Amino acid sequence: MIAVARPFAEIYRFRELVLMLVQRDLKVRYKRSVLGMFWTLLNPLLQMVVYTLVFSTIMKVGVPRFPVFLLAGLLPWTLISVAAIGSSVSLINNQGLIRKVAVPQAVYPLAVVGSKVVDLVLSLVPLAVIAALLGRPPGLHWLFVPVAMLLVTLFSVGLALLFSSLTVFFRDMRHLIDILFQVWFYLTPVLYPQDFLDKLPYPWVKTFLLLNPAAYVVRCFQVPIYEGRFPDATTVGLATLSTAGMLVLGFTVFLRSEERHIHYF
Amino acid sequence: MPGRLDFDDVGMCFRIHREKVDTLKEAVIGRFRHLRTVDEFWALRGVTFRVQPGESVGIIGANGSGKSTLLKIAAGILKATEGKVAVEGRIAPMIELAAGFDPDLTGRDNVFLNGVLMGHTRREMAAKFDHIVDFAELQEFIDMPVKNYSSGMYARLGFAIAADVEPEILIIDEVLAVGDERFQQKCVERIREIKKSGCTIFYVSHAMESVAELCDRVLVMAHGALAFDGPAEAAIARYRELQGLVPRSLAHGQA
Repeated sequence: MIAVARPFAEIYRFRELVLMLVQRDLKVRYKRSVLGMFWTLLNPLLQMVVYTLVFSTIMKVGVPRFPVFLLAGLLPWTLISVAAIGSSVSLINNQGLIRKVAVPQAVYPLAVVGSKVVDLVLSLVPLAVIAALLGRPPGLHWLFVPVAMLLVTLFSVGLALLFSSLTVFFRDMRHLIDILFQVWFYLTPVLYPQDFLDKLPYPWVKTFLLLNPAAYVVRCFQVPIYEGRFPDATTVGLATLSTAGMLVLGFTVFLRSEERHIHYF
Repeated sequence: MPGRLDFDDVGMCFRIHREKVDTLKEAVIGRFRHLRTVDEFWALRGVTFRVQPGESVGIIGANGSGKSTLLKIAAGILKATEGKVAVEGRIAPMIELAAGFDPDLTGRDNVFLNGVLMGHTRREMAAKFDHIVDFAELQEFIDMPVKNYSSGMYARLGFAIAADVEPEILIIDEVLAVGDERFQQKCVERIREIKKSGCTIFYVSHAMESVAELCDRVLVMAHGALAFDGPAEAAIARYRELQGLVPRSLAHGQA
């Protein structure tokens, strides 16, 4: 038991380092940019406009208050994909440090996830404004959002650890990850509600799509923000299960190969 | 006072892939081919020594003799392939001063970043901050990005941080190579102070006078093995003898 807990104790000991790496990332990212943080907010809003135009106005998905529905799913999805794609090169980019300083290597992907979580928290503000304007004012059910944040963050941590380690051994994971996340985006109910799956003519397709762990995590945002209620126990349970699975997978792969990374840079 | 270090028959083997399998395609297509072309290179083998708390130990040897590998194993960056390594006490996990500097951050931010990389809290670093800046003599430049620093300023800040974070085992690798004579003298004074406080010191250098001056005991490395372990003068003599006997072309390439 103690042997299992040791790497986690080490990571916890360097928690301030993770915070400082997040700060470093934000500082370097917004240096000499006039609009600074606004770029972070502008990106999902622009996507919202385009997707609403295409899927609600042109293709008529038939979801009322589509921008609210879209953003509620798009923001957590963006965290998952950007954190995983960004951290896939985090070990390679920090190899200079890894070769010279003995700190738990998990701090590097964790810092990437951390800085993307900051982006997500910031973009909740315009989301709340848009939701209020379109008749879905934030209420008591928003109390679930912090729980959903925790779930999506831990889910992203699992993915980030997994991909950052794999990319060290196989450099073309970078390209594979880009494609994987494009496909995964359309398979996750972000542009369409999950109950659309019930109308699918082929039950095996539905079964396959329901195995998508990201869907449950994203749903934990859509239910309180768009539907205006607390998610039921099944939704929360499945999301927790998905998150736990991803965390275990990520940590297992990462900690098992941590010592070998340095030989593959 | 902890600060003990034990190497027992330690070896470090690097696998050198002739055809590096870096991509999925190569892993699939060359599944069996790549198994043939792995070369083993022992950067360190059969190294046994023991350092007592408070000792200051010099490590000398030609380029590629295994000094860096030895330090990396001691600091915990590399895991030894064979043998046993036991470290008691907090070792500075950094084998090179200023290794953690981010060129885009200011000197101030880098002091904190490096302190935290070495396992300190930000609060601890805040308490040491003024002292570090004073020692590095960088008061006017501390809020400037370190990419604008000269290499001497860089090294001064790096040494000032390392000297002030109070590890129980301090690794000093080629610190005195940069910096002017006056600052070098100041560093030597500081190392003497640290030595007096009972800290275990690992000192790596090609400057034999400073090794003789600072170390009671010197390890001589040659071709990944320990060639000599003993008092400074005898060690330096042995090192010079090895240098004279081994032509440069035979030395290993591994740094």
